[in-house]
Amino acid sequence: MYSDLAYLIVGLPVLAFVLCLFFGWHLPRGGGFITVLATLGAFIISFGIFQEIYPGDIVHQSMHWFGDFNVGILIDPLSLIMLLMVSLVVTLIHIYGNGYMNGDPGAARYFAEAALFSAAMLGLVYADNLLQLFIFWELVGLCSYLLIGFWYRKPSAAAAAKKAFLTTRVGDVMFLAAIIVLYNNLVNLNITLNPGEYLLQFPVIYAHIAEIPPDQLTLIALGLLGGAVGKSGQFPLHVWLPDAMEGPTTVSAMIHAATMVTAGVFLVARMFPLFYAAPHGLTAVAAVGAFTALFAATMGLTAFDIKRVLAFSTVSQLGFMMAGLGVGAAVGAFAVGVSMFHLIGHSFFKALLFLCAGSVIHAVNTNDMREMGGVGKYMKWTMYTMLIGSLSLAGFPLFTGFFSKDEIIMIAYEYGIAINFLPYIFLILAAVLTAIYTFRMWFSVFTGKERSNYGKHESPWVMLGPLVILAIFAFAFGFAAQHDFYNYLDSNFEHYDMDFVELGIIGGHALIEEHGAAAEEGEHASAEEGHGAAAEGEGSHAIPLHIQLLPYIVALGGILIAALFYWDKVKKFDPSQVTGDKDPIRKMLLKGYYQHEIMTGWICEGIVYGTALISNTIDIKIVDGWLNWLSAWVMGFAGHVRKVQTGVVQNYVTALMLGIVVLVIAIAAISLAMEVGLI
Amino acid sequence: MIPLELYILLASIMFTIGLYGLITQKNGVKLMMCIELLLNSANINLVAFSAYQPNMNGQVFALFSIALAAAEAGVGFAILIALYRLYGTIDLDNINTMRW
Repeated sequence: MYSDLAYLIVGLPVLAFVLCLFFGWHLPRGGGFITVLATLGAFIISFGIFQEIYPGDIVHQSMHWFGDFNVGILIDPLSLIMLLMVSLVVTLIHIYGNGYMNGDPGAARYFAEAALFSAAMLGLVYADNLLQLFIFWELVGLCSYLLIGFWYRKPSAAAAAKKAFLTTRVGDVMFLAAIIVLYNNLVNLNITLNPGEYLLQFPVIYAHIAEIPPDQLTLIALGLLGGAVGKSGQFPLHVWLPDAMEGPTTVSAMIHAATMVTAGVFLVARMFPLFYAAPHGLTAVAAVGAFTALFAATMGLTAFDIKRVLAFSTVSQLGFMMAGLGVGAAVGAFAVGVSMFHLIGHSFFKALLFLCAGSVIHAVNTNDMREMGGVGKYMKWTMYTMLIGSLSLAGFPLFTGFFSKDEIIMIAYEYGIAINFLPYIFLILAAVLTAIYTFRMWFSVFTGKERSNYGKHESPWVMLGPLVILAIFAFAFGFAAQHDFYNYLDSNFEHYDMDFVELGIIGGHALIEEHGAAAEEGEHASAEEGHGAAAEGEGSHAIPLHIQLLPYIVALGGILIAALFYWDKVKKFDPSQVTGDKDPIRKMLLKGYYQHEIMTGWICEGIVYGTALISNTIDIKIVDGWLNWLSAWVMGFAGHVRKVQTGVVQNYVTALMLGIVVLVIAIAAISLAMEVGLI
Repeated sequence: MIPLELYILLASIMFTIGLYGLITQKNGVKLMMCIELLLNSANINLVAFSAYQPNMNGQVFALFSIALAAAEAGVGFAILIALYRLYGTIDLDNINTMRW
């Protein structure tokens, strides 16, 4: 019954978008309750579908659109998990937004755009073909542009919106190119399609990956990765994500937790079989992910803006997810489950952290952590919920982030044994830094002395309610859902007609075949009894104890280091003793590795601007030149000819009469000639 | 009966006079009068041909034409009066605001 309503998961938020856009001005609080109800409806339907099809079913509905393409809904474990997470988190953020945006003159516009944003993301995750996914993908990009630039009168917000839009556009172009290449290859295969099957549908793509030439597969995989890098803020296209803080905090929470950056990771997860089969496809994913995880974590260490710290942590955690998918070269489709688990857990605690930060900013009226300090005295609820979020992000044992991150690090270790240890080393270092910068933020905001005279009041309950709910999820989701989650997501690709071993041989993962086979076996064998961290550890029995203990040490050690530097009760070191203002490394991190300078200074002003100057000259002198010459000639000629038009009626009458006379004479002459027989 | 040729001759003479006036005259009222001549020469033709026909179509047409001419004269003179009030003349050569 609920599966018949699946289209409403997108339909309700779209309806809310229309209602808020046209009638929100007349409703209290900009019609925010409509958006909340719509996303809540989407969540209820998703949950209904979950109860209907769990654990072994999928929903697939599709209808013809045009040509070779269709529109359709595909709800398999992967998209179902995403649907549940997105609709739940987004609903909570919208409830919070009702408090946060209260009194803003643009509230109606905010809720309309937020509803469209939710609709786009929900549509993205349950699209059943790549073209439809791309359309929603672009819609997500558009909505992020609108919402980041929500306060468009502020020049920095407008610039940040433009930057986000253009940077993700670079990735989107690569994504589109990948779709075109994939489509061409599928057309060349001359597949006989059953009725109701279309070329770009995921089941059809999955079934024919093995027949596409491997070099083409690599090309497609790299294009898709390019799209994911742009959308998920991976190096080198991460530059838009920290700047995207210019929007309202709820928008940051949506972008970072549920509706935007997860799209890239989801895309890679969705196309995982293709990446698996493409030689070097997953290597590229692992390299990008692991590097970004460490790279962003170092920048998070020095940022002063509370939201920027969180933004860098998002970039870093997305790197973890990407790396988790990338090391799937060693463990097969199990990596998708691990990575998605981190994605879901991350959206809970990152939404929580952003909403807490929003709550703090709402009261304190500044983003700068140097002006905060001791806020915890006035905002108890915010402090403790944010503590839960921070512990989860830092990977404190028993919190959600610990389970998911631990698992990614474990499979990175397996990848290390099988192929290369670099991702593992990068991820461990990134995990240490994550714990440090998270608690640097928490300690410097909530503990210590007040460093400026800020507003001191707790936020209203409409804002605190979602915080508490998210805190429960951020704490409990990990150990509550872990086992079933892996089993459920592992079954995702069993619904389709493909053979992972065959794909692995194409992808050149043959040297780790025994490993892959073990993982495959493990999946099948342990389908009933669970497949958690412990089971995985036993299954591959290659992971020594110290490696298993390392994540605990890393998380606790990072928090301890942060406490020694930033918690006034146990403070042993002064940060400025270690690094002064003039320290080149600190300056480099604060400047984001001078990436902005390199991008705008060298690439934009040097290469792009230089090329633009040359093109401009060609355009003006040659392209416009001959056109201007032509129009000048036409105008000169017309200047002479128009003198015929005197505007004097008599002249016109005379000309008319002369014409008639000539006509009459001509007719007479012709008829005379015909009579005489000349013609 | 008067032969048809004579009617046509009369109509042609009237038409030529009207056309000559239209081309040579500058005074707005004279132009209006010349246009009336053109129209009425056509009316003479219509009535004359109708007289040689078993039905009355031509004469009905002529009546329409006269009514049309009256309306046209009304509008035309109204424009001329407006022009006179604006410029103090109805010599069309002096009314050249919208010409080059």
